[in-house]
Amino acid sequence: MAVPSIPSPTALRREGDGLRIDWSDGVSTFVSWQTLRNNCPCATCNEERAKPPNPFQVLSAAEVAAGAPAPLAMRPVGHYAYQIAWNDRHDSGIYPIETLRKLGES
Amino acid sequence: MTPQQPPMPPKFALPGVKHVLAVASGKGGVGKSTVAANLAMALHMYGQRVGLMDADIYGPSVPIMFGLGTVDQTKTPFPIVKQGLKLMSMGFLVEPSQAVIWRGPKVAQAVGTFLAQVDWGELDFLVIDLPPGTGDAQLTLSQQAPLTGAIVVTQPQDVSLIDARKGVSMFSEVKVPVLGIVENMSYFVGDDGKRYELFRAGGGRKLAAEIGVPLLAELPIDPRVAECGDTGEPIVSRYPDAPVSLAYIELGKTVVNTMLQQPAPKGLPEVQL
Ligand SMILES: Nc1ncnc2c1ncn2[C@@H]1O[C@H](COP(=O)(O)OP(=O)(O)O)[C@@H](O)[C@H]1O
Ligand SMILES: [Mg+2]
Ligand SMILES: [Zn+2]
Repeated sequence: MAVPSIPSPTALRREGDGLRIDWSDGVSTFVSWQTLRNNCPCATCNEERAKPPNPFQVLSAAEVAAGAPAPLAMRPVGHYAYQIAWNDRHDSGIYPIETLRKLGES
Repeated sequence: MTPQQPPMPPKFALPGVKHVLAVASGKGGVGKSTVAANLAMALHMYGQRVGLMDADIYGPSVPIMFGLGTVDQTKTPFPIVKQGLKLMSMGFLVEPSQAVIWRGPKVAQAVGTFLAQVDWGELDFLVIDLPPGTGDAQLTLSQQAPLTGAIVVTQPQDVSLIDARKGVSMFSEVKVPVLGIVENMSYFVGDDGKRYELFRAGGGRKLAAEIGVPLLAELPIDPRVAECGDTGEPIVSRYPDAPVSLAYIELGKTVVNTMLQQPAPKGLPEVQL
């Protein structure tokens, strides 16, 4: 088969302020919602991260209103990713399972 | 806590369908639709319950290949059952002469409707005839449809490694296993029963080896293929003894066996929030 088999999630659940994932290879990872939100893989966020940091950056109204990042919904996309809808109304991030694994390991 | 859920793009689960197989090609005219139709028939001949979804909304060919045309949507339940297959195509809804000039997102929307609103019921295989090429529309379709496997159709003289590689890497990107390459119109079988090579012999085999996937079939050229395609019954069912039909039946067997060996891919688990 052309696609090497990579570990896949067997169970995902909220744990405190983050996400616990059990994997098919027996590993269990944890990643905070903050880390997931900061690493949103959508095009807009990628662009945002590529810009030099702005020392005078203030939080947007939506960010302030939302408080700490938390997911409103998270659901599978095909066989390869999860989409997260955040409490700041941002929902275009589709997180491939490799990304979830990598973020959980770092 | 029940926060109001923001809208999300629809997720297309086909819980009644065991295997969803995409038939793709780097470019048009290589015989992708013909392969999709005959493969679907061949799978049916193995006793499988099969659907064929024509996602090539720019050049729908399922209606012609099965002797059908546009139908009255208000009176016809979809999918349409013909020759034992469950069929769906944009060509049932729109005259082919009405050039459909939709762009990527609209294609995805139309095809999404086919996946979500057509009652496919219980199937062993749903074969999807993808639009030719490996652009955004194809990528989106490959993401939306719960594909469990893909086949890339090529021609010997079309052995542009780049095209086929693109096809294969598109599927890798969205974690869809490529079952292999089908080489169409590779040779013809003379009246003496001998095989005469056309173009560059062995191109498909070489290509498959380079990409690291199996060569699933080498299909001979046969004018009856086109004749059958235009008159509503795939060659594999009209002339089951023709060499090309035997090759299709063999392809069907290979596909059934390959998919049986694969652990039925479970969808990703839901998240407990
Ligand atoms: N093995 C074959 N021998 C002869 N003609 C073929 C063969 N395979 C396909 N054709 C014909 O070639 C044309 C293009 O095939 P089609 O399946 O419509 O290609 P695609 O879907 O890739 O654009 C059709 O007229 C079809 O009947
Ligand atoms: Mg076609
Ligand atoms: Zn984002």
